[in-house]
Amino acid sequence: MKKFTLQEALCLAFCACFIVITRAVFRLHLNIPGHAMFFTMFFLILGRGCVPRMGAATLVGLLAGLLCTLLGMGKGGPLIILKFLVPGLIVDLAGLFSNGLAGSYVACAIVGALGAASRFLTIIVVEWIIGMEWDLILQHALISSACGVVFGVLGSLMVPPIVRKLTAHGLISQN
Amino acid sequence: MKKWKRSEKGDFKGNAFQYCAGNSPIHRLGAGWKIILAVAFSAAAIAARDPWMLLGLLAINLVYYLSAQLGLMNLWRDIRFFLVQMAIILVLYLIKYGIAEGLWPGLRTGFQILLLFLPGTVFLRTTQGARMMGSLKKIMPERLSFLLFTSLRFVPFFARETREIAMAQQLRGAPVGIRYAWNPVYWRDQFQCLMIPLMVRALKTARCAALSAEARGFEQRPRP
Repeated sequence: MKKFTLQEALCLAFCACFIVITRAVFRLHLNIPGHAMFFTMFFLILGRGCVPRMGAATLVGLLAGLLCTLLGMGKGGPLIILKFLVPGLIVDLAGLFSNGLAGSYVACAIVGALGAASRFLTIIVVEWIIGMEWDLILQHALISSACGVVFGVLGSLMVPPIVRKLTAHGLISQN
Repeated sequence: MKKWKRSEKGDFKGNAFQYCAGNSPIHRLGAGWKIILAVAFSAAAIAARDPWMLLGLLAINLVYYLSAQLGLMNLWRDIRFFLVQMAIILVLYLIKYGIAEGLWPGLRTGFQILLLFLPGTVFLRTTQGARMMGSLKKIMPERLSFLLFTSLRFVPFFARETREIAMAQQLRGAPVGIRYAWNPVYWRDQFQCLMIPLMVRALKTARCAALSAEARGFEQRPRP
């Protein structure tokens, strides 16, 4: 995290802030399972697009998780940090393989699906600790995460046009 | 964000898992102690296998929750998600093993998941953000702590900014608003109309805040 300038780090902190705001706004109006993944994946990938460095999305995820814990949002108490941190890590890992990740529709869709599916991981870890059987764990994770994956992909597909416009206006650089 | 209200009966109305002000013994307990209790109760939930152990643990958790004076309504708000999860797990077990063999393992697993998360819920419900921050400050690096508190401080600012940008775009005739939000055809336009100005604002605010923090000596080493 040290390698970020203070300005970059604050920009990422504001992306985390937007995740919390959209989560708060939409949980008052919508009751569709997994809809929070739309904005989570959008801002995680956008954060990576605005600050194209390793660790950017992870920092956004960590801060969003901590903010949600502090504000008492989301199910699972302090474990909610994992729900943001793991997708952030996946976005950063994908960034290693694709430099222009945030500008490409295909890359964004793949990363969006993978990041949203990482919700599987929290469910799997908890149920594995409890001692559930693997096939039941996978079935339950699939049922609970399917909607999230759809919303995650939709949210991540919104990133490329915005990143392209911000780059075209010289507000961010993709190098 | 919706604020909680206290009704005449003493119940708090607000979102699930949100802090509820109060003066119960659990509210007065230190954040560190509550974390230790939550970890202990959660570990016990993982270890519990017999019906009597689960029932005992459920009773302890209920006493713990209700002694925080949170009320039954809040308990319902907090556990309803887990009840849905319990139902899904139970159905999966019944499909796989049948009623005779699947009922108890399904119920046990559902209860274990509920009991794993319930102590964490009490922690969130009874610990004020400021006290959590106080505890976090002691263990977090200075920079991360600065970023966390700055972003927390900017939550209302950006919520206001978003509303103002949406209003300005509506005045310009852009398809922004609740009635367009339901139609996926407008999603792309809505995002461009809202997110580009918002990100421009965020980038500018980040630059100003960084300059301001650096001018105040943030992250500068003390002079010898």
